[in-house]
Amino acid sequence: MDFSVVAERLRRAVVEIRSDAGRGAGCGIAWRAGLVVTSAHVVDGHRATAVVAGEPRPATVLARDPVRDLALLAPAGGAPPAPPVRDSRSLRVGELVLAIGAPFGVPGAVAAGIVHATERRGPLGTRWVVADIRLFPGNSGGPLADAAGAVVGVNAMIVGGLACAVPSDVIDEFVDGALRRARPDEAA
Amino acid sequence: MASTVTPNALLSLSAELADAVERAARSVVAIDARPRIAASGVLWDSTTVIGAEHTIRRETGITVTLPDGRTVGATLVGRDPGTDLAALRLEEPADPPIATTDDPVRPGQLVLAVGRTGPDGPSASLGIVSAVGEGWRTWRGGRIDRFVRLDLAIYYGFSGSPLVDPAGRMLGLNTSALTRGSPVTIPISTIRRVVPQLVGHGGVRRGYLGVSVQAIPLRATGATGLIVLGLEPGGPAERAGLLVGDVITALDGAGLADAEQLRDRLTGERAASPLRLSVMRAGSPVEVTVTPAERRRGR
Repeated sequence: MDFSVVAERLRRAVVEIRSDAGRGAGCGIAWRAGLVVTSAHVVDGHRATAVVAGEPRPATVLARDPVRDLALLAPAGGAPPAPPVRDSRSLRVGELVLAIGAPFGVPGAVAAGIVHATERRGPLGTRWVVADIRLFPGNSGGPLADAAGAVVGVNAMIVGGLACAVPSDVIDEFVDGALRRARPDEAA
Repeated sequence: MASTVTPNALLSLSAELADAVERAARSVVAIDARPRIAASGVLWDSTTVIGAEHTIRRETGITVTLPDGRTVGATLVGRDPGTDLAALRLEEPADPPIATTDDPVRPGQLVLAVGRTGPDGPSASLGIVSAVGEGWRTWRGGRIDRFVRLDLAIYYGFSGSPLVDPAGRMLGLNTSALTRGSPVTIPISTIRRVVPQLVGHGGVRRGYLGVSVQAIPLRATGATGLIVLGLEPGGPAERAGLLVGDVITALDGAGLADAEQLRDRLTGERAASPLRLSVMRAGSPVEVTVTPAERRRGR
């Protein structure tokens, strides 16, 4: 029993992100058609580079929310197919989780652990899923997924050795809001 | 292929771990007896909570957050810095007490630490038992039945959390205060031995005889004896008539391998009751009855 099949499936949906302003680097995860979600602190300008299937492509930053630490990107030529998403509010403490990221610049690195706490609040009222999993700075913006490979959050920071991820329902809300603003005529 | 990957096996392990956390968390509380972040504790019986002694920083105004979200007052009934165990009495009863297991702990065994630091629900970390060794004495002077070192992440409020197996049964109480680096767990057998003393006497009673001894081999029997090298003036041993040069061969009929064993035998009920020492004095066996004096708490 191991994580390799689930990890491989998830790795295909992860893109490496390089900020064009030269700072920040991390990952992003395909989220709905043609779009990639990452951490706001990974992209600091309006443009970034997304490495999709080994090929660097320019990407437009459609929205950026420093409080929730989220950014929405549209890479030129589209994004990989998006993986299934699970509402993180259904997570239980102790469930197995895995993270994909690019710690120390190694893309596609996998880490495994468990859900440490299903709901913790940050100082600005932000909500986190906390995982007992060993992450490093390059994991920022990468997915946290359950044992079935469904994404439950995006890894944002490390506090006291624990990984804090933005919950999937917060991401959905952010993406909905960003799309409403970007394409008002398409709003449902 | 040596092993086929079945995502279903991962899913069932994941569910099993979450079940274990859920089961144990019903008996895991948060003890608020220090500034800032509360520490974890375990519901031992309907009115007794046990926790890590070093996390009890004040003796009054202690509150306990129960798994159902209630916060109730609690009184410190006993503490033992030596084993880092403390017992609190809840002002209102709570349920259920933690399920425990006496199954031997094995290196490599999958374990979880289940903690609670407030009303926000439990927290957990996953790891393995790293090493299991013989009984040991902590730097604080307490005797722990087995050395159980963990390969597991330490987080805020970790001390006082139960170590549980994938069935959710408690194997010991976790603490980061007894060793540097990786944490250890205090085994169930030590907790069972110490908690009644905390509840009954407010602490672990440790007696002393007022002797300095050294282990020497006894030529006649091949066993070990403890030769008396010094006597505390007015101490229990001197008052009982023990002399420098006496060789202690047994305590209440049981042999002694070293000074450590003598010290261990002077805890609990024996700390203040008369003991029979078998002594070799100038080649002849003598029996000496001595009543240990009780060490002051914290010594």
